[in-house]
Amino acid sequence: MKIQRQNFFLPTLALFGALALLTYLGCTKKTADSLSSIRARGELVIGVFGDKPPFGYIDQAGRNVGFDVALARELGRALLGDEKKVKFVTLEAANRVAFLQANKVDIILANFTNTPERAQVVDFAEPYMRAALGVIVPNDSPLKTLADLKGHTLVVDKGTTAESYFVKNYPDIELLRFDQNTEAFQALKDRRGAALSHDNMLLFAWNNGNPGFRLIESNLGNADVIAPAVKKGNTELLQWTNEQIVRLRKEGFFRRAYESELRPHFGSSIKDPSTVLVEPST
Amino acid sequence: MVFDLSFLTRHLPDFERALLLTVGLGVAAIVGSLVVGLLGNAFRNLPLPGARLAVRSYVELARNTPLLVQLFFLYFGLPSLGIHWSGLTCAILGLTFLGGSYMIESIRAGLDAVKKEQIEAGLSLGLSRFQLVRHVILPQALATALPGVAANCIFLLKETSIVGIIAVPDLMHLTLGLIGLYYKTYESLLLLTLAYLLMILPASWALARLERRLRYGRQFA
Amino acid sequence: MVDNSLELLLKNLPLLLDGLISTLTIALASVILGLLLGCVVGIAHLSRSSAVRTAAKIYLEAFRIIPVIVWLFVAFFAIPIAFNLTISGETAAILILSLWGGAEMSDLVRGALTSIPVAQFEAGRALGLSEIQLYRQIIIPQAIRRLLPGAVNLITRMIKTTSLVVLVGVVDVVKRAQQIIERTHEALPLYAFLFVLFFILCYPLSLLSRWLERKWPT
Repeated sequence: MKIQRQNFFLPTLALFGALALLTYLGCTKKTADSLSSIRARGELVIGVFGDKPPFGYIDQAGRNVGFDVALARELGRALLGDEKKVKFVTLEAANRVAFLQANKVDIILANFTNTPERAQVVDFAEPYMRAALGVIVPNDSPLKTLADLKGHTLVVDKGTTAESYFVKNYPDIELLRFDQNTEAFQALKDRRGAALSHDNMLLFAWNNGNPGFRLIESNLGNADVIAPAVKKGNTELLQWTNEQIVRLRKEGFFRRAYESELRPHFGSSIKDPSTVLVEPST
Repeated sequence: MVFDLSFLTRHLPDFERALLLTVGLGVAAIVGSLVVGLLGNAFRNLPLPGARLAVRSYVELARNTPLLVQLFFLYFGLPSLGIHWSGLTCAILGLTFLGGSYMIESIRAGLDAVKKEQIEAGLSLGLSRFQLVRHVILPQALATALPGVAANCIFLLKETSIVGIIAVPDLMHLTLGLIGLYYKTYESLLLLTLAYLLMILPASWALARLERRLRYGRQFA
Repeated sequence: MVDNSLELLLKNLPLLLDGLISTLTIALASVILGLLLGCVVGIAHLSRSSAVRTAAKIYLEAFRIIPVIVWLFVAFFAIPIAFNLTISGETAAILILSLWGGAEMSDLVRGALTSIPVAQFEAGRALGLSEIQLYRQIIIPQAIRRLLPGAVNLITRMIKTTSLVVLVGVVDVVKRAQQIIERTHEALPLYAFLFVLFFILCYPLSLLSRWLERKWPT
């Protein structure tokens, strides 16, 4: 039997309308985010890694720390006068671009390598670090060169330059792709793959804390740079960020940040910071 | 909203492959869950002390924990105990563990629905246990259980969408990977949605037809 | 090993609790909104207007066919990109979980209402009860009894599904656990903790559902 009820159309519509309204209130329409709208908001939203020590990770108290995070706090201080006015959003390598496209962050400071493909969809600012790819294997592994990887499984982090490098240049090598950095390294430790590929500096830092492994490649791919990224078209923020990076280079900020955030993790693998940092062009 | 159609066509083969894997995984999970469901009910009805409790404990444990946590536990937790199951193995195990508990409950509901009088009548007619099960209990139980079992099957097909978190290359894993490599976010999500429509709609429709056919017979019971 | 694990969990309890609050907030908001939505749409399923019925059916099927995780990503990425909005992970999570819960609930409500024999309506009207009295005294109590076990079951499922929000960047209890794993490399105790945690949250509801089924057998 059917309960004949005609007049529930309006309440149904009303409830859906209420849900839509709630969602609308939960969202904010983003115009090309000018600096003034960020100032009006009172916080600078920056996307960082939460699981990529020493660049972006979470400490014991649940706070964001790391090299990229230090830069983020400095930018917050420069724009809003207080480094606490930075809101950190943790993300994964694969969704960095999507986060910018979807207006979730103002700036990405997540070890983001500047590549031509990415430059088409986001705007990169002045670089602050150099990057190349590396491949790491367990110490007892028989693999010695890249060619040895054929027929083995390589662990990568989704959305990284490492992944796209191997997809493009070595499509025969089987990839085991993970969403998160931690998971990829855990998989390497669990022997789910014969090797792992990622940014060389990250591998140096990780290797320092995990001595049972060694790098078989440390300068793969193009000599790329890492830079902050903003949403495409956000020229005002881009210009401001450029100015900040240039200024911070001159003031030696990156050297200081290197000493406090990176050197303790690199051990003896990197002797000269200038191979890692982008120095001011005087 | 500008769609990049060439992207869609370029990656259609990738989606095909992922769809096949997803369907295969779903079917494996369904078969595994049905087996667990039947065995669980058979075990439950054995005159063993603690059989019911054991089955009930399993059902409650599996039903009240999310698949996400189960998969992470199997794939990232067990290696520290020396157990290194592959992503696919963990996915099938996890889905079967969860689905099996759902199937046990659905089949149990079907079995419970068979009236006592039917069993008594069958026994008084001199039917053997086997004949009783095959001709009296199972047909009626199946008809009652089918909607629940069908719903579980669809549920399992949909739950496969989570296995990407342990690097199983299913549809969701592929889509997120494509977004990470090529940045075509909503083109990728569109293909994903279409793929699920393609997979679930026919399954849902086929099971609904099956239900209707069984119910047709019961109208005259 | 167990001692170390317990010590680890205790040391990190504040972080885990912080994540748990996030999980429970999202779950609670979604359950309330979803159940309300479901009641209304459930009645809409039985409307005289076929347009309303079709709309309700499309809504139900949309969430029956497409997995929740896909909807989460659509709400989290596709919609903001398409309409130039900002939607936080929490908002997307509550939105999608409520809509999904509402769809499932509407099916339960429809099932509950249609399972009440016509005779009840006819008898009530024959006794001279007004429509309001009929529904308040006769129909709705019976409908609630048929509805409740399934609804409690749905709440359990919604709590479990809340674990998915970690995939759209919400810092819930699962994410906090993963952050701790990153720092300490102790995956087993932390995932075991999450396993037990969700069980503690959901098992009482499961018991309640069974008790209700036994109390009000259909």
